[in-house]
Amino acid sequence: MSLLEVRNLSKHFGNLMAVDDVSFAVEEGEIRGLIGPNGAGKTTMFSLISGFLQPTKGEVIWRGENLAGKPPNTMVRKGIARTFQLTTLFKELTALENVIMACHLHTGTRLWQQFLRTGAVRQREKEIEQKAIGLLEKTGIAEARDETAQNLPHGHQRILGIAIALATKPSLLLLDEPVTGMNPTETEATMEVVRRLRNEGITILLVEHDMKAVMSTCDKLTVMSFGKKIAEGLPEEVRKNQAVVEAYLGTGYTHA
Amino acid sequence: MELVTQTIVNALLLFSFYALIALGLSLVFGVMGTANYAHGEFYMVGAYVVWLLYTLNDWPFLVTVVMAALIVGAMGVLAERLLFRRVRGDVVTGLLMSIGLVFVLQVLVSEIWGVGKPKPVAAFLTGTLDIAGASVSWQRCLVVPVAIVILGALYYFLNRTRMGRSLRAVAMDSTAAALQGMSVDRSGLLALGIASAMAGIAGAVMSPIFSVTPYMGHYVIWNCFVIIILGGAGNLKGTIIAAAILAFLSTVVTTVWDTTIANIVASLFVLAVLSLRPQGLMGQAET
Amino acid sequence: MHMQGPKAKAVGLGALIAFLVAVPFFISTYNTHVAILLFINIILVSSFRLITTTGGWNLSHVPLMGLGAYISAILAKSYGLPFWVTLPMAGLGVAAAGLVFSLPLRRTKGLAFFIASFAAGEALRLSWTRLIVPFGGHRGVYLIPAPDFSPIPGLQSVDFVQPMPYYMLALSVMVVCLLIMYRVDTSRIGHTFKALYSEGSLAKSVGVDIPGYKTLAFVIGALFAGIAGGLLAHYMRAIDPSSFGFTATLYLLVWAIFGGTHSFAGPIVGVTVLTVLHTILEGAMSSEWIPLVYGIILIVTLVFLPGGIESLPERLRTSKSLQALRARWVSRKGDYESA
Repeated sequence: MSLLEVRNLSKHFGNLMAVDDVSFAVEEGEIRGLIGPNGAGKTTMFSLISGFLQPTKGEVIWRGENLAGKPPNTMVRKGIARTFQLTTLFKELTALENVIMACHLHTGTRLWQQFLRTGAVRQREKEIEQKAIGLLEKTGIAEARDETAQNLPHGHQRILGIAIALATKPSLLLLDEPVTGMNPTETEATMEVVRRLRNEGITILLVEHDMKAVMSTCDKLTVMSFGKKIAEGLPEEVRKNQAVVEAYLGTGYTHA
Repeated sequence: MELVTQTIVNALLLFSFYALIALGLSLVFGVMGTANYAHGEFYMVGAYVVWLLYTLNDWPFLVTVVMAALIVGAMGVLAERLLFRRVRGDVVTGLLMSIGLVFVLQVLVSEIWGVGKPKPVAAFLTGTLDIAGASVSWQRCLVVPVAIVILGALYYFLNRTRMGRSLRAVAMDSTAAALQGMSVDRSGLLALGIASAMAGIAGAVMSPIFSVTPYMGHYVIWNCFVIIILGGAGNLKGTIIAAAILAFLSTVVTTVWDTTIANIVASLFVLAVLSLRPQGLMGQAET
Repeated sequence: MHMQGPKAKAVGLGALIAFLVAVPFFISTYNTHVAILLFINIILVSSFRLITTTGGWNLSHVPLMGLGAYISAILAKSYGLPFWVTLPMAGLGVAAAGLVFSLPLRRTKGLAFFIASFAAGEALRLSWTRLIVPFGGHRGVYLIPAPDFSPIPGLQSVDFVQPMPYYMLALSVMVVCLLIMYRVDTSRIGHTFKALYSEGSLAKSVGVDIPGYKTLAFVIGALFAGIAGGLLAHYMRAIDPSSFGFTATLYLLVWAIFGGTHSFAGPIVGVTVLTVLHTILEGAMSSEWIPLVYGIILIVTLVFLPGGIESLPERLRTSKSLQALRARWVSRKGDYESA
């Protein structure tokens, strides 16, 4: 059984078919790339899988269970986490505080325990801080921990977004353009983090335009164009696919 | 049977009345992106203008109605220039500001001309009209032709004049309109001027019927908000339909029970609509 | 996030409370009366602010307070229950009402929440005028007994009709309420409230149940509004629907906006400053003009200082004109020193 299966998934906005009858499956432990020209419906697909949008038709099957239409907090509980295309952070908090906040929001202490600031709560808060530091180290931005999020360089902000998503202990991580706007060094560092995360057992589904990063990191690619799936397969195969090349006409990418 | 025709007639009158006031509110929302809670006070000032000029100074009634339109229209323009222009698009702040304006106007009017007994405004038209068993004073009927004329003029203005069309363009997308050279500021002045004038006329025309007090705008404005929420704020056609629905329902409920129940029902109705469709009955859903 | 030592905070708080306990011995009875109402309003505005941290401007807050007043009044007058029962009951009753209100309000935000909450409050308020039993219609409930603390020894013999004892009562209730609300605000729950408002998508993406938390904020806010109402009822000894009308809501809005809702203390400062202003104005002009002054303050604040007074220090610090002045002063000082 695949970890995630999307079956005949569609999303209409009035007359616009943002996602049109798309089906694919992601296996556990994969790094899957979801690529396609702008407007192909990739971010809409992410929103459908993570519960931010409700599908017009179709199923989102997670470990055999159809979760289509469930709200984001349910998806998170089931183990699906996402990042955003436009960096979404708690701007006025430091990097460490951002991750702590994410950990806090995710774990559950009872309300009355919160009130009394019991020893258990204090202990939990220390644990959370340790966990947050660990996440920053794992994603490679530990030295920026006390910087205010909005003052971080763009690359660090995107990585912080990933650290925040990791706070929810996901089994599937949806990364929306994780390296957009980064220079080659930052890009390689981030993709290295992505590979490491997969090695630790997190399945990755990522949307990205940087073909070099995609080709070198993804096990398999699913290609979308104008809301439909037009190709799927190993990166090398997809690269040579005529339909894919035509869809990307004008982007000028032919060689790695 | 008479009760039915009477109810229908009353509903029709109420519909004309609310169409006149609520449409202006909706127009302002569409163009300025905010709602003016003091719109009810503009209506009130229109009634006071008639009392001051017609009752106290014997001006001809219809002239005083025109004066009400001009004076209240000018007030609207002033309010746009000083207040609403700054908070274009920011709905909640604009609303809060206009709530402040409500109290400024209410206190000014009640302190300058006193509270207590409502100001007397003699009927301009006397006698009653009897149709099919229903009877209504000619004065009450005045609002219907006035509404038809004004709304017809508004329709013509918005659809067939250049200024009106650019107003609608601004309402739809102010950035695009500005890029095409339309003055967004001038549209705001126009919208608020027109809307306020309409409210002033409504107040003027109904001043012999309703009690003229500084607080007469209070329940009128709430019903107008109910209307624009139902009809979709900024959606003029929807507003008219909603005005008809509210006028009819309100008249029926008031006839069977009383005004307080009608107001409670209206409030619960708004609550129900907004809870199921936060964008109003005919507004556009946000994705 | 800056934090002073918790010890320093506790000492400061203790000093403030001691000061407030001493105050009524030195001020006039009238000012004691003003202070009692101020304490009640502080509870009201702080509970209102709690709801604004999730982005909601709850225009039913004053009617909810009224409901608390009615509940406590009716329980005490018609059922003879003591104050230490009726006050919590008022809080819980209004919390329950808040839960009911929050159901239709669940999906609304921004303007829709504003209007829908107003609608709910209006429906509630109008129902008091309509229902003679038990709300007494337009006349309301009167001859409300003063707080009855039987059978608690010591307290039961205090005459709470006098302003001084009621002052102490109101002060104690206010301190307890504020401590609880502050604790909620600074706890993870409070941080979740603010996160859900400022970065809703992010909060959702890490698993926050946004409607659930908004409801929680609403219910907690309603609870304390109910307690404020109960305190008011037993002080005024007579309540009617007009005490909880639109003017009262206006005052609440002005307090909150003038003070600023970003910080916990903002609205408290706002209501205190404006209450002092109000007392001064009442001496200088007839009270009919006062809503006009409030209206002007609201407008001026929204135009010139939208963040309220609490945003003033930050504004002054980052003000370009002040920075220019400072720079010029520093360079001139340099000129003198090098001469």
